Amino acid sequence: MTASRQALQSMLDQLDALQIEADRCAATVRAARRLNRGSALLAASVLMDSAVEHYRGNFTNRAMYTPLLISVLTLAISAHGTTDRRPASHRVRHGIAVAAAATGLAGTAFHIRNVLKRPGRLDWQNLFYGAPVGAPMAILLAGLLGSAAEWVRDTPNHMPPRLFGIPAGRALAALSGLGLLCTSGEAALLHFRGAFHNRAMFAPVTLPPIGAALLLNAAVAPKCRERWLTRVWLQLIMLMGLTGVGFHAWGIHRAMGGWRNWSQNVVDGPPLPAPPSFTGLALAGLAALGLLRDHEDA
Amino acid sequence: MPMQRPERTAMLADPLAEPRGKDGRAPDVFRPGGWVPMRQYRESEPVDFLIVGTGAGGGTLACRLAEAGFSVVGLDAGPWFRPLDDFASDEAEQSKLYWTDDRISTGANPLQLGSNNSGKAVGGSTVHFAMVSLRFRPEWFRARTLLGYGADWPIDWREMWSYYAEVEQALKIAGPISYPWGPKRPRYPYRAHELNAAALALAEGCEKLGVAWSETPLATLSAPRGLAHPCVYRGFCVTGCSTNAKQSALVTWIPHAVAAGAELRDLSMAGRIEVDAAGRAVGVHYFREDAWHFQQARNVVVAGYAIETPRLLLNSTTDRYPDGLANSSGLVGRYLTVQANQAAWGLSKREIRSYKGPPSLALTEHWNYDDRKDFFGGYCYMSQGPLPQLWANTLATARGLWGAPLMEAMENYNHQVGLKIVGEMMPQANNRVTLADDKDQYGLPIARVEYAWCDNDRRLIDHALDFMTQALQAIDASDIWQQTDDTCHINGTARMGIDPRTSVVDADCRSWDIPNLWICDGSVFPTVGGVNPSLTIQAIACRTANRIRALAARGELERRAHV
Ligand SMILES: Cc1cc2nc3c(=O)[nH]c(=O)nc-3n(C[C@H](O)[C@H](O)[C@H](O)COP(=O)(O)OP(=O)(O)OC[C@H]3O[C@@H](n4cnc5c(N)ncnc54)[C@H](O)[C@@H]3O)c2cc1C
Ligand code: SF4
Repeated sequence: MTASRQALQSMLDQLDALQIEADRCAATVRAARRLNRGSALLAASVLMDSAVEHYRGNFTNRAMYTPLLISVLTLAISAHGTTDRRPASHRVRHGIAVAAAATGLAGTAFHIRNVLKRPGRLDWQNLFYGAPVGAPMAILLAGLLGSAAEWVRDTPNHMPPRLFGIPAGRALAALSGLGLLCTSGEAALLHFRGAFHNRAMFAPVTLPPIGAALLLNAAVAPKCRERWLTRVWLQLIMLMGLTGVGFHAWGIHRAMGGWRNWSQNVVDGPPLPAPPSFTGLALAGLAALGLLRDHEDA
Repeated sequence: MPMQRPERTAMLADPLAEPRGKDGRAPDVFRPGGWVPMRQYRESEPVDFLIVGTGAGGGTLACRLAEAGFSVVGLDAGPWFRPLDDFASDEAEQSKLYWTDDRISTGANPLQLGSNNSGKAVGGSTVHFAMVSLRFRPEWFRARTLLGYGADWPIDWREMWSYYAEVEQALKIAGPISYPWGPKRPRYPYRAHELNAAALALAEGCEKLGVAWSETPLATLSAPRGLAHPCVYRGFCVTGCSTNAKQSALVTWIPHAVAAGAELRDLSMAGRIEVDAAGRAVGVHYFREDAWHFQQARNVVVAGYAIETPRLLLNSTTDRYPDGLANSSGLVGRYLTVQANQAAWGLSKREIRSYKGPPSLALTEHWNYDDRKDFFGGYCYMSQGPLPQLWANTLATARGLWGAPLMEAMENYNHQVGLKIVGEMMPQANNRVTLADDKDQYGLPIARVEYAWCDNDRRLIDHALDFMTQALQAIDASDIWQQTDDTCHINGTARMGIDPRTSVVDADCRSWDIPNLWICDGSVFPTVGGVNPSLTIQAIACRTANRIRALAARGELERRAHV
């Protein structure tokens, strides 16, 4: 009697373990797909932003086509990843994500070189109007998120997901937190250039740094299941990124000729595709929180 | 029934043919065809302040006095434009902004009058000015004592510093984060504009020659402001800005003045200031809509700029003041001081397209602050962006090209790069405005303007031309040539000072002779410094408004407390 009871118990335990395992697996895939979505948003933002800005710069250097190409590819792999429910990484996807990250680094170097070539070097004029030093960071982040998605997805069943040897949830929280900080820094620079003439321009320089602090805290603090404040805050940032497009559309309307003169004002006015990068990063932050919750040890 | 839209033809009625500021309304400069309500005063009722001229001096003062609660009427001989409706991207059409009434220009170095130095419009010359908004070097306010030339101003630079800040805020000046010269100043309200290739060429030249350069603080918006659009960098600034980005008096002080209860009358030419037997100004005769009118006033302010201001004072003689009003010193019309405006031009291998954007996006004030030179005074120089007609004109007149050579030179227009100074000329008593026998369309004696350079002026010009030529050589420009004869900005002719014998007005812009007659424009400058004057004119006007408030509060508007 006891023996059969024990056998039953062990069977139930095994079933439980299997269920947990399956949950974990689903959780890593879920997190990976979330990361794919974040990466997609960033890539879309890069695609449109660099298309407009590099068109404005007449594509004087052929390298200026690179971010367009690589962000299209990043979009494609993100779409593929988002629809893929298999718990295993994909070589091509991973390769392209790494290439995107590398493009971000190279782009940053290019932009810095452009700034240093101009009279005045590293002065405000060139930071405002030279090649934006922070912009290629978005494609770097898109690449990093895409590649993180592959790592997380690839986690063997019985292991907690890890990135660069750190539990993946924590690593991602740190990455998206830093990403938010940098992107907010860029918004600060450009909104300072616009003299914060509209009070709404303060939103992307105040909300994201707080979100970043919450995420960085999540990255290092002891385990905690809920983190509802961080979650709500990130959702707020997601919303801000989307409404930002509306504000920028309003900004375009304020220029001479408004939307009737869209062909000039979309190019010269506030960049429509820029604010959603916040949404992408907030999504990544939420994925990190998801990982942290689903893998207590992660 | 659908609302009827105002008829387009009515909206675009010629502002030069018929006044717009009347019947209790004024044109809304921010809305095509729009109107705003405007207070109206009766001519038979004396207003607190009647201001002749609504430019940098008069427009600013009208605004500040109205805001302080005084009743204010402003007269301007020019039309009241709505830039969005009335300004064309056409140099010839836009000559409607200039004061081109007859004047006689003589002397050893006669001034070229018109487009480059005076405007005739509500908003004055600021409607077509180049927006460069610079502060004086502090020492210039005590040029005689500290630097050994010219005359001292009766105002301390520290006081001016706060009025400069006030004007910079009011105009949302777009300027650099840190300005390389002079004492600390607060951050400019708007960020500097993007430099065009012409400005970058200046910067490169300065770096090669080892002198500092800077983005030019400009009165044009680098971000939206109210209903005014930000700059679109099309470079039509000195022919009037059709986007309202340019923060001229027309779109800043004037709308505020109207909102605060001032009445401004356009196409109203003041011909004579009336003074009563007791020697007090009582009003102004002015010509509007084919008739002479008389507006009574408790105080009269003349702000017609340095030629029309002395002309009006000299034209208002009475038995008691046979030499004109406020002229017991004999200095009304004297010390006319312009600024040197020479240039060096060359060709760049790169495409420059200097006409893109405001014309003077970068400058160096190095020679305003470095005293190791063989002349008194200083100069700044700025990047240039002449529009095609002006450029063809310059090549034809200053360089003497005509026919095929002119056509050929014009083909290089996109590669042209130039540097131009605003240089301090010395105040000289014999450079002056007097009255000629000829009469203008209103039957008023016209101004006769006499000008001659002194040795110091020539030394300054030589120094500047030499230095700018080096700067062009340093950036490998070819075909370099010098434009040696040009001037801009007319000042002086009613200088301020501390002594009634050697000046026309006191530090408050109040005439020494007639306590309720004031002069508030570029005429009051004892010296002109090496920077463009409008910021200083507006700062002086803000100060005058403050002083008037203080004097009124003490009951000293009616008569002077001392002297
Ligand atoms: C092409 C150009 C570019 C310039 N660029 C700059 C620049 O970049 N920076 C700068 O600081 N300055 C610049 N200036 C100079 C600046 O515009 C003037 O110094 C300034 O506007 C002078 O102010 P004001 O009040 O003395 O006279 P104005 O602004 O000229 O105003 C005088 C007004 O009085 C009116 N008026 C005169 N007489 C009468 C009368 N009898 N009755 C009725 N109305 C009368 C006139 O119609 C005019 O509207 C520029 C000027 C020009 C022409
Ligand atoms: S360049 Fe800017 S300031 Fe000049 S006319 Fe055009 S919009 Fe106005």
